[in-house]
Amino acid sequence: MTRIVHILRELGRNLARHPGTVLGSILSLTLLFLLFDLFWIGSMTSENFYRTLLSDLRMELYLPEEISDSSITSLNREILSLEEVFSAEYVSKETARSRLEQLVGYDLLVGYDSTNPLPRSIIITVESDFQNVNDMDLLQQRLASLTGSTEIVYSRHWLEKAENTRSIILQLGLLLGGLILLTILFNSANNIRLMARARAQGFRQMALLGAGRIFVGMPFFIEGFFMAGASSAFGWLIILYGRSKISLAQFEIMYPPHDQVIVYCVLAGLLGSLSGYVGIRKLLKNG
Amino acid sequence: MTELENERIEPLVELVDVSMRSDRGESVFRDLTLDLLPGRSVVITGSSGSGKTMLGELLIGLRIPQSGKIRLFGHDLSRRKRSVVRRVRLQIGGVGGQFRLVPSLTVAQNISLPMVIAGERKKIRQERLRKMLAEFSLLRQAGEYPGSLTRVENTLVLLARASVANQPLMIIDEPLAGLDQKTFSRVADFLAKVSISGRSMIILASDPLPVQLPNSEQRQIVNGALV
Repeated sequence: MTRIVHILRELGRNLARHPGTVLGSILSLTLLFLLFDLFWIGSMTSENFYRTLLSDLRMELYLPEEISDSSITSLNREILSLEEVFSAEYVSKETARSRLEQLVGYDLLVGYDSTNPLPRSIIITVESDFQNVNDMDLLQQRLASLTGSTEIVYSRHWLEKAENTRSIILQLGLLLGGLILLTILFNSANNIRLMARARAQGFRQMALLGAGRIFVGMPFFIEGFFMAGASSAFGWLIILYGRSKISLAQFEIMYPPHDQVIVYCVLAGLLGSLSGYVGIRKLLKNG
Repeated sequence: MTELENERIEPLVELVDVSMRSDRGESVFRDLTLDLLPGRSVVITGSSGSGKTMLGELLIGLRIPQSGKIRLFGHDLSRRKRSVVRRVRLQIGGVGGQFRLVPSLTVAQNISLPMVIAGERKKIRQERLRKMLAEFSLLRQAGEYPGSLTRVENTLVLLARASVANQPLMIIDEPLAGLDQKTFSRVADFLAKVSISGRSMIILASDPLPVQLPNSEQRQIVNGALV
């Protein structure tokens, strides 16, 4: 208890003696965390947008003219039994014609030959886990091996582009996120180091009197936790304020759930503690 | 031989053939040997540069010797294992040399610090603190910071801090240097009181103490050896 009270008093002394450093540190950390939060929201929103686009992804299997209805039923059943397939919908010539009409705005086949030239098809929706070029290609090959299919198409070029874009965003995000976290670590560590350096003699004396590293270092670990934790919480308060003021009708912005934000703030605090350790590591070593 | 004579009393401090070179590579100690039994004190004198301060640093684990053994309270300090050094330091009260006051703490907090580190209860801490402040006439300065103390007051606070936790060993570097006559005799009285209290002291001084301390012996560092 005695030691804990001393550690908390030391923490209070640290904060009270260097208000400018503490405030400057909290402000700069808040900005860095805010940047990270915005990136987090941005990546969640873009991921959601990507998923929405993928949900429209279909594979179309065209059927030959001569195939019988019973063969189509068995083919449909066979398609549905594949693990990649979420649903399979048979589209007759008439349905294809009406869909084309809906798409174009008028019936393109009016005055055309009495026979409908549009092919019958099966529209396949793929399970979300398999909505990538590799799995879609494999599925395409498997479908091609089934009897009764003539041509199988899907928006491969678009999917490939979307995947590449997503991968670039992810890599940039990891790089940016890593850079921000490193900046936070060093920024916070540097501030703590400056505060600790001013008290180097005190550290030395405590060590000479037999104080352990935890006794000497704990106020700085807690300080790092407090500064980084508070800064990350401030960052989210700013975002929540902005969220209550801004609404976009055409575009849904995705926010992480509250429990994840709380875990994030705690992790930010732990990062702060780590930076506290980095900040006073040398002084502890020399004691 | 009786059983009592057979039983060897473990020395509090044991230096065996310690050799040490300075940072510049000059030989400071050659086969230095010292045994200090519990309750006994030693006054080690030596001219400036003879290695008194370095000896103090060896005893608190700040330096390791090139050869030889240093044992305090039965712990081998020669290996400089952090946990061992810490355990040893907890049993030492230090004044002067490397021991100074913590500038960010008040006089009262400085004096209490060894007890805080040792995890002493608040009631005992306050009791002992009051006693020390009264004994060294520091009640008025209790709330002041070291920066505002005179040199004499500074020495008194260090002495109070070194005695407050009743550690079995005190290492005092130049205890009477720069003191006025009144404080001089007061500190001398204090040292005499400690030497009969059963605690041990290693006093490092340039000149022999003008008073003879009970239970103590005088040694001198000459050419890197204790004579």
